[in-house]
Amino acid sequence: MSEIKWLIFREGRRDVSLINSVIMSKFAPLIVILLAVSVQTFGQLGSMEVSGRVKIGTKQEKLTRKRFYLFRGGLEANKALVEKLKAAAPVSRDCFYCTQKASAEFIAWLRAGDCETPYCREITADDAQKVPEFKAAYQKGLTQFKRKPELAQKWLTTNLPAGLRDGFYREQKTMIGGLLGTLKPVQSVMTDSVSVKGIFIDIPLELAGKKTGKFLVSNLLPMEVGDKSFVWACEIEIGAEKPAVLKLTEGKTKACEVIVRPITACAAGVCAAK
Amino acid sequence: MKNVLRIAVIVIITAAGAAVMLMTASAQKKRNEFYHDTAAHKKLNCASCHKNPTPNSEAVRGYPDVADYPGHASCISCHRADFFSGNRPAICTICHTNPGPANGKRFAFPQRSRPHEFTTIFPHDVHQDIIALNVTPATGPPNSRRVGGATTDALFVRASFPMAAPNTHLGALAYARATDTDDPAPTFNNCAICHQTASELPKYAAINLPNGKALSPAVGENFKPEAGFFKDSPMGHQTCFTCHYQGQKPVRTDCAGCHSASERYKDTGVTERYSLKFDHQSANHVNKDCTTCHVRITQTKDLAAMKGADVPFVTCASCHAAQLKEETDKRAGAATFQCAYCHSPEVGRFEIPPSHRNR
Repeated sequence: MSEIKWLIFREGRRDVSLINSVIMSKFAPLIVILLAVSVQTFGQLGSMEVSGRVKIGTKQEKLTRKRFYLFRGGLEANKALVEKLKAAAPVSRDCFYCTQKASAEFIAWLRAGDCETPYCREITADDAQKVPEFKAAYQKGLTQFKRKPELAQKWLTTNLPAGLRDGFYREQKTMIGGLLGTLKPVQSVMTDSVSVKGIFIDIPLELAGKKTGKFLVSNLLPMEVGDKSFVWACEIEIGAEKPAVLKLTEGKTKACEVIVRPITACAAGVCAAK
Repeated sequence: MKNVLRIAVIVIITAAGAAVMLMTASAQKKRNEFYHDTAAHKKLNCASCHKNPTPNSEAVRGYPDVADYPGHASCISCHRADFFSGNRPAICTICHTNPGPANGKRFAFPQRSRPHEFTTIFPHDVHQDIIALNVTPATGPPNSRRVGGATTDALFVRASFPMAAPNTHLGALAYARATDTDDPAPTFNNCAICHQTASELPKYAAINLPNGKALSPAVGENFKPEAGFFKDSPMGHQTCFTCHYQGQKPVRTDCAGCHSASERYKDTGVTERYSLKFDHQSANHVNKDCTTCHVRITQTKDLAAMKGADVPFVTCASCHAAQLKEETDKRAGAATFQCAYCHSPEVGRFEIPPSHRNR
């Protein structure tokens, strides 16, 4: 360093190339090491799989087409999130639709297909006669799309009230927003319906010389199974060598916080308890 | 002093007049073309010109839609002079086939020969979320886009097939994923609401690999994919309007909710693939959920922004490790060997990418 100062003093700013060459000769090894470390730290990718098969009670449940989120850091690093998950007061599907004054037939239709919204499956002509909300939407469509009953049927959801249409989805988005705040997941994936797995791929690792890095996997939104809802927040080590695999359990483990809540009855006498 | 002021006013008025004349004259040359991306047009709201639905839409499309050009009123407030410019004003030729007082015939809307000026943004992640919980609909209208009928065609018995044992890295992950499927077939793939098996062979091509290194000239091969190898995509608004005609945002009048201004481009209509030989309908593919292989799609807000292949190679290797090994071994023996199990020669002659080697 003193050599460089002396050079600058002696040469002023005239001989920049000379100064540069001295800097390079002095610091080149350090730059190389820094580059290597940064590549080692930030350049590696990992992958992990979360299995949606979980034994609850005596039954092997399949959590198909459910979204899981991946966060950097383990349970300790994400303590605030975990605490929020524990403190959250999620609204169950049935309770939400109760607050929307949905008919018993509408809720039964959702339940029959394990649906969260009316977009989940085809609303048949039969459904449009049996479910009062669908019937009303269909009638509205008939007036609007004159002489096009098939269009009134096919575009039926466009005449449903907003709360019944995508209100539950919006409620869930709001809940996720509240849970995350400024926290951003690294990725999110959805389990498929055949292998019942979600694959996180090309996870940018920040290993800093270690073989694996800690991550947290959570579904954030309670998954309703039977008469309970489940939120998992599981710590997992992910490295570049081999894929990590997360298997969910019904109860809490050392690496997994499992928040289990009973699905309570809503507005007794209006909507039946699950 | 008064004279100076008068002269100044006259000069300014003359200059302004000349500028308007000049602008009009230069713009006049382009009056037979219409683009959305001019400064003046960009200031306008889409709905200020495009009405949705247009009166002709039911007759033309069979459902309420934008099926016609904006009316004269949309243009005339700014282009009055152009409307009365000559016997056959150039501006008329934008929409009219043979402009004249006795002929109001217009080109079909939209004009497919014109370059596109917008891209469509479809957030797959949101749609996967909101229609994620599914069961097979028992019945559906015969012409329904839903898969009530389609999946019955797809219910192949899952045949056994050889699978290489896991060795390294992602191999283990892929192996486990592929072997741990005790369900005979997906009960419902919500992707099929919009993407159905193509009924006609689309225009297709092997994907261009500009950065790859071809190791030999492409060998001749007689392979031709069939229509069933491909899936189609919605064309027009009909599928979108099923949910978004009204109520569910973005609604039909919110064009920018789905369409984003882009550089002008011509849609070739060519489906490009890395693996032209991939058959969606083969027995061991049709029994998977789309997202078993299209892993990234459930987290994708915009296809154009997606990094990496939509289908990561790991999902292919889960079942085809043996073929992969066979072909990479052959390539190791002879650089001119062209991988042909999945690829057509246009791709199979290139260097094997790292994703295929690190198994």
